[in-house]
Amino acid sequence: MSKEPGKTLLKMKVNGKAVEVMVNPTWTLLRVLREELRLTGTKKGCEQGDCGVCTVIMDGRTVNACLVLALQTESKEIETIEGLGTADQLHPLQKSFIKHGAVQCGFCTPGMLLSAKALLEKNADPTLEEIKRGISGNLCRCTGFVKIIKAIQNVHR
Amino acid sequence: MRERDQTRKKPFSCVGYSVPRIDALDKVLGRAVYSEDLSFPDMLYGRVLRAGIPHALIEEIDAREAKAMDGVVCVLTAKDVPGINRYGVAFQDQYALAEGKVRYIGDPVALVAAETEEIAKDAIKTIRVRYGKLPVITNPHEALAEGAPRIHDKGNLLLHTKIRKGDVEKGFGEADVVVEDTYKTHVVDHAYLETESGIGMMDKQGNLVIWSANQCPFRDRRQVAVVLGMRENKVRVIRATTGGAFGGKDDVTVEIHIGLLAWATGRPVRLVLDREESFLSQTKRHAIEIWTRWGARRDGKLCAMEGRVLGDTGAYAGLGAFVVKKCGIHLSGPYFIPNIKVDSYSLYTNNIIASAMRGFGVAQAAIAHESQMDELAKRLGINPLNFRLINALDVGLSTATGQVLYEGVGIKATLEKIKEVVLNHPSLQSYWKDLT
Ligand code: FES
Ligand code: FES
Repeated sequence: MSKEPGKTLLKMKVNGKAVEVMVNPTWTLLRVLREELRLTGTKKGCEQGDCGVCTVIMDGRTVNACLVLALQTESKEIETIEGLGTADQLHPLQKSFIKHGAVQCGFCTPGMLLSAKALLEKNADPTLEEIKRGISGNLCRCTGFVKIIKAIQNVHR
Repeated sequence: MRERDQTRKKPFSCVGYSVPRIDALDKVLGRAVYSEDLSFPDMLYGRVLRAGIPHALIEEIDAREAKAMDGVVCVLTAKDVPGINRYGVAFQDQYALAEGKVRYIGDPVALVAAETEEIAKDAIKTIRVRYGKLPVITNPHEALAEGAPRIHDKGNLLLHTKIRKGDVEKGFGEADVVVEDTYKTHVVDHAYLETESGIGMMDKQGNLVIWSANQCPFRDRRQVAVVLGMRENKVRVIRATTGGAFGGKDDVTVEIHIGLLAWATGRPVRLVLDREESFLSQTKRHAIEIWTRWGARRDGKLCAMEGRVLGDTGAYAGLGAFVVKKCGIHLSGPYFIPNIKVDSYSLYTNNIIASAMRGFGVAQAAIAHESQMDELAKRLGINPLNFRLINALDVGLSTATGQVLYEGVGIKATLEKIKEVVLNHPSLQSYWKDLT
């Protein structure tokens, strides 16, 4: 990769694949995912950590990609919605979201799914309170959350 | 999700069943395409300079520094608009770029297109505008006051709607109880998680093509075409998957600005409002002040209602006139009242524009009519749910505008169902008794 002035080489793993990309030190992870890697499933809603639509998983923990500088992800593993499931092999959470009507405009959906995934990986059978806490960083303006919570509760049912 | 009932004689494919959304799969996979997910080679980034001041004359705009900046491709102000610098879904009272005057803090004054988002943001900050401040109107009372400064040449009253049914004086004469009060609601932002956004370009055949987060592509294209001075059939507005709208993307948001920049530069232009800009410049739910007086007889029948609705529609009409009108029309709620007199006024102020939002004025009316109903029930000593049942609209009765309803009136059945649930619910029974 040719050297560009002011840019630095970033190496990380995205959805299991090694990625090398030249980044400007002021860029956020969100910017790199969306504009450089064209992984546009990660959304942008506020760019200040309030809405959660940019949620991705970094080394097993959810982060707001708009608050993480790209260079902070050096050597880290990032999971985005594009890595969660495929059309033929949906992740159980994806199936459950569809089945329970937890998707409306869909703008919160990728972030919401990743928060739910991170939650279930730590706690396979969360209580209602734990689910609410698990998705407390993700706003949804369409559904009123009830169906999203149902989808997470019933993921294996 | 309810499974299809196989025993039904004529199974419909959708009606009566919960069916998965047609776009849910794309959305859970993150592959649904919202307008900001599109990008094109050679794309520029647009940015809007907003007034930041609620009411002022524009004395001078100096954009020389911005124009000279590296990476800035064009800067546009009102004088660069090729067509008619006016738009608006119902009343063409809004300017694509402010002309001579700004009427609220979000009024667009200049546009920039630049090679990067950062340059566009920096360039906007270098544009100097000299304003001559004007007195500011912040609420409908000031807007109506004698000698108030005029926000638009035609004055501050956008629309006055009268509802007249029966004879209110006679109606109040029959009343045993009268309840009168004033209700004020506040501004609400739709706060869709996707801000207003879009991307557009001139294609090789000279068509202007715009993908945006919108609710009404055909209405948008009609307005874009006028401002660009293009034939309507040369403008295409395509609705990208939209991340929530709730009425807030009913009016034009970014489309005209994208059109202007794409036309001026000949390159694809992406324009996305940031969250703060969305809050400060885009339409809201109306703040409405409702004064109203209701009369009922001892037997529980409503006999008269009077009201005055003052809607703050902000600096431009949008769909505001109809929202406020609808608030007045629905002020009597889902109840039959034989004598009604309501006046609703949609007023310009220097506040942020209010236009469509879920409920379209009826949510504000509901706060008033349901409060009135509770208060009347209390004074009459009637259970509030029974009081609503006594007065609920039904087939054969007429609404505030005199329309006689012939079918599809579900309010009584709904109330009966609520009553049934409440009466069978162990913890709600005592609540019900307290009300009775
Ligand atoms: S865009 Fe990152 S939290 Fe809103
Ligand atoms: S589905 Fe629209 S914001 Fe959650």
